[in-house]
Amino acid sequence: MTRPTPKAIKAIAETTGVAASAEEATRIANSIGPAFEGFSAVAGTLPFDLEPATFLIVQAAEKAERAET
Amino acid sequence: MSADLALMSLVPVAKGIADRRFSSREVTQACLDRIARWQPHLNAFMAIEADEALALADLADAALAKGEAGGALHGVPLAHKDMYYETGRVVTCGSRIRRDFVATTTSTALHRLKQAGAIRLGTLQMAEFAYGPTGHNAHYGPVRNPWNLDRITGGSSSGSGAAVAARLTFAALGSDTGGSIRMPAHFCGVTGLKTTVGRISRAGAMPLSQSLDTIGPLARTAQDCAVLLGLMAGPDAADLTTIAGPIPDYAAATNQPIDGLCIGVPASFYVDDLDAEVARGLDETIAVLKREGARIVAVELPDQRQLSAACQLVLAVEAASFHKRWLIERPQDYGPQVLMRLQNGLAIPGVTYLEAMRWRGQALSAHLAATVGVDAVIAPVAPVAAPTIAESDVGNGPDAEAVIQRLTRFTRPINYLGLPSLAIPAGFTRGGLPLGMQLIGRSFDEATLLRIGAAFQRSTDYHDRVPSSV
Repeated sequence: MTRPTPKAIKAIAETTGVAASAEEATRIANSIGPAFEGFSAVAGTLPFDLEPATFLIVQAAEKAERAET
Repeated sequence: MSADLALMSLVPVAKGIADRRFSSREVTQACLDRIARWQPHLNAFMAIEADEALALADLADAALAKGEAGGALHGVPLAHKDMYYETGRVVTCGSRIRRDFVATTTSTALHRLKQAGAIRLGTLQMAEFAYGPTGHNAHYGPVRNPWNLDRITGGSSSGSGAAVAARLTFAALGSDTGGSIRMPAHFCGVTGLKTTVGRISRAGAMPLSQSLDTIGPLARTAQDCAVLLGLMAGPDAADLTTIAGPIPDYAAATNQPIDGLCIGVPASFYVDDLDAEVARGLDETIAVLKREGARIVAVELPDQRQLSAACQLVLAVEAASFHKRWLIERPQDYGPQVLMRLQNGLAIPGVTYLEAMRWRGQALSAHLAATVGVDAVIAPVAPVAAPTIAESDVGNGPDAEAVIQRLTRFTRPINYLGLPSLAIPAGFTRGGLPLGMQLIGRSFDEATLLRIGAAFQRSTDYHDRVPSSV
């Protein structure tokens, strides 16, 4: 996963309905770009069945396990 | 006498009022006297409600005189970050956009503290919409650190950190989405508790990121935080992310020794690139905990940089979503840095956001597996002590992201994992700036963190030190 270009950001922003100037798009790319790079090793590798609610299940299981001990 | 009352911590002051050793009015006046002295220097308060606070204090005293039993905080004056809604009150959220916003509901956390008898002193400054780690605010000016007025307080609960440190309030609510309780606690030398996602209702609190937002107290001691958590924790029909089940006796936990507890020290990341004085503070904290009977072990945690990146992606999208209408209609009313950070969310595709959300459970599992048998992990809150206000005033310039990243690198991974973390005062630099360490716990195990924090505070006096008067 690569960081988005200012051009891509401008297009996405316009689709969202929030205009971003070329200058703003460049600033956004510099600002959020490192997060894309940091997450690149994870992106595209997740198992098919994983969903966001798994987090709550893991949290609850940990709590239940501690209550038993 | 009244000046000394403001220097007490929350638990003894509540007991003193209840026992009628001193009155709520005396305590409230003592706080107001300090506020009058410090506020022009700190800019910690958004609003000061002196007359109303004294009137409420008189009512509390009258109730006690009639033998009417009060709650655990009967007559104790408090002030909170200006993002907790209270019906009929202006809640600015540190913003120009909400400068005149009047709440039509009362936040559950605030309501529970009020039910326990707490009195309102006013409201506290904060980063605009709780989206800033330094304590700068483009509309209301920076909050200044009571230990050194040229230094930042940290954010976003900037007023909460400064006001508790300067003994203007006995405690203050903050909120922590990426480190916003722990950083002011670290930079200002107070105790701050970031709770587990789901522990305290967020109903009626200004949202920033529904997946990451947590509410918690900043106070002078772990014992104070324990009492406040006990009052606020628990399920709430208005916030279905809160968990059911019995609430631990947090206050009792703070009286327990820590013999036999296992504390993990990360082998990497949290010990890398530390300022020398922060590194020394960490070593000394570990030594104290060892003397108190804790077993210290090295832990190898999963890649924290990935967690931090995932946190950024989730936060950026959720914040942009909350703010979308104002981003379209009122972009000129945001400060430059907050606007830039909100716009960041526009650059993240939906699939990327959902990947970051889907990975969260797996990442938490990996963390728990890496810390099996460990009761808490100790780490610095930030790699440096408080920088100056001038050097961290980066707005939306080219250095902004680097400054934000450096300050929040040790806090954001914990928000992504939804874990609790207690920041405790753990020393001072040679230049007199506070240093804080965080104890990172297991999901919903705030009690163990408070137990460790209280044991540390029985052996040290960092939490008792007060900034010199202005």
